[in-house]
Amino acid sequence: MKPALLKEVIKSIFSKPATIQYPKELTPVELDARGRHYPDLSKCIGCSLCMIECPANAIIMKKIPEGYEAPKRNPKKIYPSINYLKCVYCYRCVTVCPTNAYVTTSEYRLGTPEPIFSDDLSLKTLVSGGKSD
Amino acid sequence: MADGDTVEATKALEIPMLLEVPVGPQHPALHEPILLKVYASGEEVVRVEINTGYNHRGIEKLAEKNTFYKDIFIVGRVCGICNTVHANCYVRALEHLLGKEPPARAKYLRVLAMELERLHSHMLIEAVMAEILGFDTLFMHIMKDRELIMKAKEILTGARVLADYQMVGGVRRDLSSEKIERLNKILDLVEPRLKYYMKLFEEDVTIRKRLEGVGSLTPYDITSHGLLGPIARASGVSTDVRLHDMYEVYSEVPYRIVVMDGKDTLARMMLRWEEAIVSLEISRYILKNLPEGNAVPDEKRLPRVFPEGEVYTAVEAPRGELTYYVMSKGGTMPYRVKIRTPSFNNIINSGFSYIGHTIADVPVILVSYDPCISCMERITVVDFRRKERKKLLLKDVVRGRV
Ligand code: SF4
Ligand code: SF4
Repeated sequence: MKPALLKEVIKSIFSKPATIQYPKELTPVELDARGRHYPDLSKCIGCSLCMIECPANAIIMKKIPEGYEAPKRNPKKIYPSINYLKCVYCYRCVTVCPTNAYVTTSEYRLGTPEPIFSDDLSLKTLVSGGKSD
Repeated sequence: MADGDTVEATKALEIPMLLEVPVGPQHPALHEPILLKVYASGEEVVRVEINTGYNHRGIEKLAEKNTFYKDIFIVGRVCGICNTVHANCYVRALEHLLGKEPPARAKYLRVLAMELERLHSHMLIEAVMAEILGFDTLFMHIMKDRELIMKAKEILTGARVLADYQMVGGVRRDLSSEKIERLNKILDLVEPRLKYYMKLFEEDVTIRKRLEGVGSLTPYDITSHGLLGPIARASGVSTDVRLHDMYEVYSEVPYRIVVMDGKDTLARMMLRWEEAIVSLEISRYILKNLPEGNAVPDEKRLPRVFPEGEVYTAVEAPRGELTYYVMSKGGTMPYRVKIRTPSFNNIINSGFSYIGHTIADVPVILVSYDPCISCMERITVVDFRRKERKKLLLKDVVRGRV
């Protein structure tokens, strides 16, 4: 009778720990993993399809605020705002958008005590996108 | 006290016949919110009452209130561990309603996702079993290797756990040849580990002592109580939807049904290792023989309105037969979605199998059934509590399988 795990245990003593020390060390994720995504407002036409199709009701449509020039293709001047803490990262919004307006990333570090929305990221695209439009 | 004096009794001493041990819903030995009320006489378990309802989320009702397409993502969240089988069963029901047939490549990819899921699900329950036995080192080792499969799932579907991979008419992302290579490498790493753990469970004295002969179920018990999946197959009952239904591409992949005769907890755990190896073989075959073509449907072009009809579909989930009944009265939302999960049968109907074993065996037997509470808790709460007061000998209770 010999302990079957003994060899394994000895091997483990001398190998690198398998545990990842998050957040000091980042968990490696795939580049195309489903992470934080936001609509590029220079492409969005304000059709609200993503809001209608979102299974988690994480998207609401907001008016484009003063000081931003809404693109001509967006006559209703509305844009989707994603509540990241409600979102389940299914990417249904990404696949139903008729203009492929969503920018996808593999960003997964989204834990915060406050609610976070996609507004800032989206409106940034508008400043540059609006100018070139 | 003189003779003839009567004294009125003020107190009665009640000596309990049985010791009642509540195991759960929060308990260090259980990983799932379920209550097992264990009645023991000494160390011997004489009766077990199973109470559920701690994790009820009303998903069937939610499915009626959302569109057919939203429900694909909602049913995937019935259970994290078997989300692709839930989604597959539901998506196939929708495809039957629409009379749509997904392309061959999509079918292969779906089976790949489901087999990877079976692989990690079986590894998880083996790890939990090791932990329940007090063998925490083994738990850590199995979980470390399971992480490889989670990575494979991430490569294939885009997320470690919730795949959201299936869509009416195909899958939601394709597999490039570079990814196929990486998946093959992961499978090469995992295969020797599976064989090693299997040998370990077979040979380790401690594991054998705790599992052998515990919670034996005869084929008669299986059929009379409607137990499903690996539990049935470990008692020699050959039942597997993959074999009976040959859904998706199970008629083409090298699938073989694993049936064992051990009947006890050890047989159930060994069967899961063997099945994990079969899943790995299927995954390898799929990666090698993936047909060409487009597997990803354009989700913008899918029909929004569904015709009237009723569909009943089944898949073999890691825990047994999972069935969906979808009823459509036309329109964009289903009229009824009924889900029957294997854990519901396996846990609620198996109270009899704890009787005669010791209290320490209760978690072991429960874990060998691979309980998935989130899976069963959409259905009516079943309460076995009976209010009867009968005087019986303990042994009669044992024999009567109360
Ligand atoms: S990823 Fe899914 S849950 Fe998140 S906003 Fe898009 S549709 Fe909604
Ligand atoms: S679906 Fe696309 S175009 Fe329509 S509102 Fe959403 S992001 Fe804009």
